[in-house]
Amino acid sequence: MKKPDVKIVLLGDVNVGKTSLLHRYMERRFQDTVSTVGGAFYLKQWRSYNISIWDTAGREQFHGLGSMYCRGAAAVILTYDVNHLQSLVELEDRFLGLTDTASTNCLFAIVGNKVDLTEEGAAEDQEKEEGCSREAGSSCASAKVSKQVKLEDAVALYKKILKYKMLEEKDMPAAEKMCFETSAKTGYNVDHLFETLFDMVVPMILQKRAEGPPQTVDISNYKQPKQTKSGCCA
Amino acid sequence: MDAGGDTTAPAPGDAEDLEATQFSNEAAGDSGGGVHKDPPDPGDGGLEDTGSKAKDQLPGELSSLPQSEASSGTCELWSPTAPGSGPMGGLESGPGGQGGDPSSGDPSDEDWRSQRKHVFVLSEAGKPIYSRYGSVEALSATMGVMTALVSFVQSAGDAIRAIYAEDHKLVFLQQGPLLLVAVSRTPQSAAQLRGELLAVHAQIVSTLTRASVTRIFAHKQNYDLRRLLAGSERTLDRLLDSVEREPGVLLLGAVRCVPLARPLREALGALLRRCTAPGLALSVLAVGGRLITAAQERTVLTECRLDPADLQLLLDWVGAPAFAAGEAWAPVCLPRFNPDGFFYAYVARLDAMPVCLLLLGTDREAFHAMAACRRLVEDGMRALGATHTLAAVAGLSNAPSASAPAYSVQAVGAPGLRHFLYKPLDIPDHHRQLPQFTSPELEAPYSREEEQHRLSDLYHCLHARLHSTSRPLRLIYHVAEKETLLAWVTSKFELYTCLSPLVTKAGAILVVTKLLRWVKKEEDRLFIRYPPKYSTPPAASVDQNAHNGFFTGL
Repeated sequence: MKKPDVKIVLLGDVNVGKTSLLHRYMERRFQDTVSTVGGAFYLKQWRSYNISIWDTAGREQFHGLGSMYCRGAAAVILTYDVNHLQSLVELEDRFLGLTDTASTNCLFAIVGNKVDLTEEGAAEDQEKEEGCSREAGSSCASAKVSKQVKLEDAVALYKKILKYKMLEEKDMPAAEKMCFETSAKTGYNVDHLFETLFDMVVPMILQKRAEGPPQTVDISNYKQPKQTKSGCCA
Repeated sequence: MDAGGDTTAPAPGDAEDLEATQFSNEAAGDSGGGVHKDPPDPGDGGLEDTGSKAKDQLPGELSSLPQSEASSGTCELWSPTAPGSGPMGGLESGPGGQGGDPSSGDPSDEDWRSQRKHVFVLSEAGKPIYSRYGSVEALSATMGVMTALVSFVQSAGDAIRAIYAEDHKLVFLQQGPLLLVAVSRTPQSAAQLRGELLAVHAQIVSTLTRASVTRIFAHKQNYDLRRLLAGSERTLDRLLDSVEREPGVLLLGAVRCVPLARPLREALGALLRRCTAPGLALSVLAVGGRLITAAQERTVLTECRLDPADLQLLLDWVGAPAFAAGEAWAPVCLPRFNPDGFFYAYVARLDAMPVCLLLLGTDREAFHAMAACRRLVEDGMRALGATHTLAAVAGLSNAPSASAPAYSVQAVGAPGLRHFLYKPLDIPDHHRQLPQFTSPELEAPYSREEEQHRLSDLYHCLHARLHSTSRPLRLIYHVAEKETLLAWVTSKFELYTCLSPLVTKAGAILVVTKLLRWVKKEEDRLFIRYPPKYSTPPAASVDQNAHNGFFTGL
């Protein structure tokens, strides 16, 4: 069994494109996704490390499990929709609290997705519009308008998060480095986002290994008693 | 109540509007004195299920009745319909907010009206939660009328169950703070429609639990439940679609198994039993919404049964496209087992096949233990060489219907036989805990949706007549326009067959005899004869006693 070395969690409101972002990165393509149920676990080989990525559901219904997905996470990707201001507000209101169980030196990335739907990047978003009209009619109604959320707003949120986590700005990566604008549809900035983060968590893995036993409880290390049982297949 | 205002702003306001309307309705009745006595009479008779006869004059009565009774505000709610536009026409007043778009759900829209069956879910306060077709925003007014109908009958100390109107049936089901309504012009009986509504409700409960739904509405009566159900609408859509495509599941209250050689199925059952994790309560192997095998932990689920409806719900659930990639970990509630609590489910596709493993446990932190368990199952399947067989079974499906593993009706070797549903009843006691049925894939001439609907309708009709409460039948031979059907229920089986229209009665009986002989021969492959369970010593022999517990313990 490949044991994950480190955990990254995708958080964000319904229909901001968390699953699409991850899918774009893992599968190199964009396709219609359906609303995620609970959380989905992916393992990504990065250099010699196994990075586990949790793609969580944005639906309020699954909030109960949010802190479980975040437990011991080394990085949290907070995702919003650049065309939907409320999705940025929700990050602070609903999702930040879930990250309390993450590791103490957890990294935060703030990602504005769907830049292809803004004026600059507007193209063929007709089917997109139809695809999500059921789930979040309001967010789609704003398609093809000028961007509602500026990068500065994300930077401001990033600084607020550091304050909330009582982290010194100088100890953490600069806000400009940790705020991304992406498009899962065109692939714009997606690799950059994930690979920047992977590069940043690798030193954390090494540090953790040097420190010996982890300080946060890592349930992935939990040994199964039944694994001692010898297999009797035939 | 102003419909236009509602559709544009489906916000907190309309719940209050609606309450106000109800009050004024009652008030009008009360102050009217004698008026209060008169109108309920036609209403009571017509609205009660017991009437069971079509009352074509009903829509007219309904619309004329309150007009005489209520004043000002209430009138609009009940505004009379254009003649011949069906009951929904009578219920709708004013123009919908989002005209033009055919999918908007504007009730005056022809496409929307012409749907065979509508299903609505709303809160007691009349807040729209789900509609099978169209957007719920455009339906606030329609749903308001449904709430009004329910509370009107309720105020007389009664409960509305169904309305029969010309070619439509309206079935109402109140479940806690939720109201479910089916408006159908299919020939399904009210009881069958009620079964569908119950399945819809179970689906909602499975994502939220009954306790939390109750708590939410106790806390805030006009809560918009769509916030919590967002994303689940598709699941409900799929559920309702499947009723028409695979009528057997709900109709027979049974699950459909993947045909599989008995030794392999038993080996897989033994494998599931061997691969355990702390808190693991139930493991299920499924493909395309059909059961391969399942095993349950007796120490977790003692003395309670897993209801087939719960199992079917899980089968539908894991078939969702959301589980197509990655390893999922999500809470799920089994409404029949315990409507108020969550299990935690690990769902993954095995070896990138459509074969799906579901591990249901009680520990919310057990993801990694379950993931380890899944790897054991995968290794075991490889050791069994089952991977290849299952891939073949899964690949057997005819392409468009995704990964539905099945067999062709040709396999029976009875010319003239087009399709059938067969549910065995002559089963050992322990077996009864896992009702199953078998049926071949739908093939030409049932490849188009409308043909499938016709067949589904015919099956529903036959089922309703076999199980009629007033005059149940054992055998029906029915010559329909485009096919001949024979339905037969004995102490050993329940069978529905669809035959070519040219078959004679003697020919039909010959076909059925052949079919029964075939099923008997294949029953080890078609059905799970000895469902496995945990906590039995992995005995090599098929000992009845060692196996008799599967779903009895559940």
